[in-house]
Amino acid sequence: MARLHAEKRVLLADVAGDSIRAMSGSMVAYQGKVEFKHAGMGGGGGFRAALKQKVAGESLTLMECTGQGRVHLAYQAQDVTVIGIENDTLTVESEHILAVTPGLTLDVQFAGLRGMTSGQGLATTKVSGTGQLGIVSDGPLIGLEVVPGQPLVVDPDAYVAGLGQLQMSLVSGVTWRSLVGDGSGEPFSLRFEGHGRVYVQPAER
Amino acid sequence: MIGGIDSPTYDASTLPADDNVNPYAFSIALAGEWFVSKGAMIAYYGQVEFAGVSQYASRASWVAARFSSPLYVQDWVVATGQGKVLVADRGYDINSYDLDEGNLTIKQTNLLGFQTSLELKQSIVPGFVTLLGTGKFLASSNGPVIFVEPPFRADPESLLGWADCPSPSQHYDHNWMAQSFMSGLQGAFGRESGEERQYDFTGAGTILLQSSEATRVDAAMLRTIESQTNLLDNQSAGALGQRLVARAQRQ
Repeated sequence: MARLHAEKRVLLADVAGDSIRAMSGSMVAYQGKVEFKHAGMGGGGGFRAALKQKVAGESLTLMECTGQGRVHLAYQAQDVTVIGIENDTLTVESEHILAVTPGLTLDVQFAGLRGMTSGQGLATTKVSGTGQLGIVSDGPLIGLEVVPGQPLVVDPDAYVAGLGQLQMSLVSGVTWRSLVGDGSGEPFSLRFEGHGRVYVQPAER
Repeated sequence: MIGGIDSPTYDASTLPADDNVNPYAFSIALAGEWFVSKGAMIAYYGQVEFAGVSQYASRASWVAARFSSPLYVQDWVVATGQGKVLVADRGYDINSYDLDEGNLTIKQTNLLGFQTSLELKQSIVPGFVTLLGTGKFLASSNGPVIFVEPPFRADPESLLGWADCPSPSQHYDHNWMAQSFMSGLQGAFGRESGEERQYDFTGAGTILLQSSEATRVDAAMLRTIESQTNLLDNQSAGALGQRLVARAQRQ
């Protein structure tokens, strides 16, 4: 049974005759007998997922690590968090997925036309099932509660993950458009309503 | 069931008021206005509006008196309203400072926000701005901030700012200067080790350093230097242009 656990900024993945999927190129070392194989686009979600990913401009390529042993995974010395999921769904910004155990399925969520016009960071990956997920973040994660009547607005470049009954909408008010000026400002922001929790990182991608 | 995330969780009322959330993020308790660097906001609760400085100045005439830096107008916004605004910068350490009838000069790319009771002016040193008055401001640093007192020589990349002391002069390494005289070379293109130029501080005050030489590209730096080329006559400007082209081709 594949297990993940975080040790500082490295994710240790133990495989015992089974496999995990990990971010391509994230292996820094391994012990035992492990084989690495390109798992294709869309995180194994099939052709439909691959197509959706193309359309949404989402960049998630995974590799399959199979065998007996321990794989050390890391990405740019970023903080690593291991999340346990039991019959639940978590939404994660795809660039932050470092590894998933077999019990979880990944599905690229298509943010629609609006997602395309506003560039990267608006199409996310839905992770559901039972298993473990390892994610990376530039700095420690900050959890922000969303309750009815208390909406939260997040910069898309700082958004990492969300859980619960959240409705996400894009805010592109006049006040935001005025920030475009030099191209460095973010014209869109994400507005969360409902009941749940959003995780952000103290950095912008 | 989702478990295993041991990161602290906040809501609008439990977020700190004008204090750090962790070393890398700061929570502004907004009740009125703040000047915020464009792109520094990562999340907010409440009724908050962000407007470009020039756009906001047309509604509120005091802005022109407080934000006295045409060079940086397009890099800043005014946040208005009520709520909690989270500010961060590339995962760098964020520190807040309180000025009390004081003045502090800081690298523009490291300044993330300041209260509207403070006045911003461009420093004579390119890339730096001076804050005057009483109020709070936020600055980022790559690694913890080191405070030192003059006399002191600082590397321009790691220098964050200085308070209460005269502006620095530039210091060049003795050996480097001696070699320049001997070889009769003019100008410094292509002969730099990266350490021969330092900022020299004298007098009484405090100097702020970051423990790294990582800096962000300052979009305004180009505009600053370009405006300074007005000091050159046409022939000199042409010569400068040729040297810059030669440098760009070498790289």
